[in-house]
Amino acid sequence: MKKIIEFKNITKSFDNSVVLKGINLDIYENEFVTLLGPSGCGKTTLLRILGGFLQQDKGEVYFNGEEISNIPPHKRNVNTIFQKYALFPHLNVYENVAFGLKIKKIANDVIEQKVNRMIALVGLDGYQKKDVTLLSGGQQQRVAIARALVNEPEVLLLDEPLAALDLKLRKEMQSELKRIQEEVGITFIFVTHDQEEALTMSDKIVVMKDGNIQQIGNPTQIYNEPENVYVANFIGESNIIDGVMKDDYLVKFDDMEYKCVDFGFAKNEPVDIMIRPEDIKINKNKNGKLNGEIKSVLFKGVHYEMIVNTKIGTSKTVTMHVLAERDVFNEEAKEKMSASDFTMDLEDVKELTDSDIIARANAQVWNSENNSDIGIKEVVHEIKETPGKYPVTFKSSAGTSITINVTVIEPKFIQDKESNIGIQAFDFYKTVDEIKESMAISVDLKTWADAFAWNLDNDKNIEITDVWYDFDPDEIVEGDYEITFSTKGREFKVHSTKRFEVDDEVSLEFEPEDIHIMKKMR
Amino acid sequence: MKSFSRLVYPYIIWSFLLVLLPLILIALYAIVEGGSGIITFKFTLNNFIRFFKDPIFIEVLLRSLNIAFITTIICILIGYPAAYIIAGFNDRSQKISILLITLPMLINMLVRTYAWRGILLISDFNPEIKVFIGMVYNFLPFMILQIYTSLTKMDPKLVVAAQDLGCDKKEAFLRVTFPLSIPGIISGITLVFLPAVSSFFIPKLLGGGSFVVIGNLIESYFVTAGNWNFGSAISIIMTIVILISMYFTRRFDYNKEVR
Repeated sequence: MKKIIEFKNITKSFDNSVVLKGINLDIYENEFVTLLGPSGCGKTTLLRILGGFLQQDKGEVYFNGEEISNIPPHKRNVNTIFQKYALFPHLNVYENVAFGLKIKKIANDVIEQKVNRMIALVGLDGYQKKDVTLLSGGQQQRVAIARALVNEPEVLLLDEPLAALDLKLRKEMQSELKRIQEEVGITFIFVTHDQEEALTMSDKIVVMKDGNIQQIGNPTQIYNEPENVYVANFIGESNIIDGVMKDDYLVKFDDMEYKCVDFGFAKNEPVDIMIRPEDIKINKNKNGKLNGEIKSVLFKGVHYEMIVNTKIGTSKTVTMHVLAERDVFNEEAKEKMSASDFTMDLEDVKELTDSDIIARANAQVWNSENNSDIGIKEVVHEIKETPGKYPVTFKSSAGTSITINVTVIEPKFIQDKESNIGIQAFDFYKTVDEIKESMAISVDLKTWADAFAWNLDNDKNIEITDVWYDFDPDEIVEGDYEITFSTKGREFKVHSTKRFEVDDEVSLEFEPEDIHIMKKMR
Repeated sequence: MKSFSRLVYPYIIWSFLLVLLPLILIALYAIVEGGSGIITFKFTLNNFIRFFKDPIFIEVLLRSLNIAFITTIICILIGYPAAYIIAGFNDRSQKISILLITLPMLINMLVRTYAWRGILLISDFNPEIKVFIGMVYNFLPFMILQIYTSLTKMDPKLVVAAQDLGCDKKEAFLRVTFPLSIPGIISGITLVFLPAVSSFFIPKLLGGGSFVVIGNLIESYFVTAGNWNFGSAISIIMTIVILISMYFTRRFDYNKEVR
């Protein structure tokens, strides 16, 4: 195939923001090339430079081996289909299509023949005299295609031409465009942000991000062998896992080593691993290499999309001491008093005040006949700044008193070096009533245990996604309960035609060639 | 929506009283003989016959049309480039330019014309040129604004598309920009030609007494001579002439909404 266009080190910036950062790209004859990327990635700018509507700051554009940067748009042998078609509203379908040929001063009978042939090619025969403003979106699109192609350009540029159409029409025009391209046999350069459009139509996809080319390849290469996490995420659905390359053909993630087909990485090089959801086989047993539990099932028409949790995240278990309401009754004074044990952090002892203690112990005194509140007059304690158990006595003016235990502990947290997560939580005391009154028990448990997790590198907060406990808050009785707080573990998205239920225990399997290793993005 | 349709009634009454009724009265005056009593109607076409029999009246009519026509042409020739240049400015400059163009319109036209009379006193132009200066000065903003609006409403992609299809800048203008701005020119013509043809104080103030146009004629028959019947007949004739000329102008327009 002959090289038709060469972009050499193209840079372009608008008002201090660099839109293209040195693009190098070769485009060949008869190729259907798609420039794919989110808005602002520079794809349209590149197209405009080729069309001659923008001038690059640096770099060269070669067209058939000739540098064309100084050639004005009307002298370039390329034509463009614009996003909103830009049909001439004062001309009918025939006149719109004939526009380019009339400029070239071609004989009328030749124009007529070419225009009518082109109108037939795009399937609008019989619409010659129609007003373009009265056509549907799809028909306007066809007029725009005919208007460009009738000039027999060597390259057709298409700037998101399908963006304004609805889904069904878009699909129709996708195959229509592909058919027309094959029929006229010229190079199409198609700009889109729609990955599916790119995959169905292109011979070559150029994935762009922030003014750089991330990957160039055919649809299969782009889908199966994305260069990096960005491409993998942009095209199709994927599971991306942090891993380490142990050796050629051997990768490790989540404490397990897996065979793969990739090589040429450094030993112990950190890599990104991609496994497509449809490449994972899922079996109903729990004795595979990778086992997990189904977290959710979504029906997607052809298949089920399931989230499988294969590893519980970093977790910390604490004990919740549940006490009955201990109240003392002073019959003489007709007073009742209550308070409960609590645990506190060593750091907090320094600034401890009596009212803090009353609040933490939830200490109360009230009249046993009319339930009216009475103030606590005195708090007697000897809490010191060393870990240990300290008795605290609350007294009312009538002489009623109650004694509780306060446990002072050193802050405790665990560090999970593997996942790079620190997580902390404290044992705590609660009364039966407090637990029964809780409206959102998971949230309250986190607050009571002062549980949180963070990234060991940058101290950023990490969400605690799971609070595990084994009691019914409405039926709770005195005793000690274990509560486990954990961060998100490893989740796999799996597509399968087999249906599983949530909480099913399953094993996951994948072939070495389904594991795709990518270099970490800088 | 139905409940709101009632709001239109006052406007209908208003239009009837202030637009239709005077027109009916003028038409009525034009076809009856003059007399002291309103009740003694006597149908006649003599007012019209008198107008067309006298070559002086015809000459005045043609002169008025001629002045209005030339004024309109000059307004297009000056207004189009002005509007085109303004439409190419950035947002801020566009707003300032449009403000500068509309600003004189806030001052009464009569006052501005008197001002011109003062300015032109020191010149020795002939009366006709003075009248044209006054006319163009007064009506040019209407032309510029109409053309400017039609140019800015246009999708700028259309010019890019024309260039893409092989037009250089001149061809792109001639084949796309200009045809699409014709509706603006047409409404500009309407807004300039109509008042220009019936204007009487500009010729009167700037042209001196020697320069009689149809507006002066109507004014003098109503105010000076007190012959309302003949004045009405001239008004009717002028209205018909204007309607005919507008019809022909409109035929140049594309018979559709240009988006």
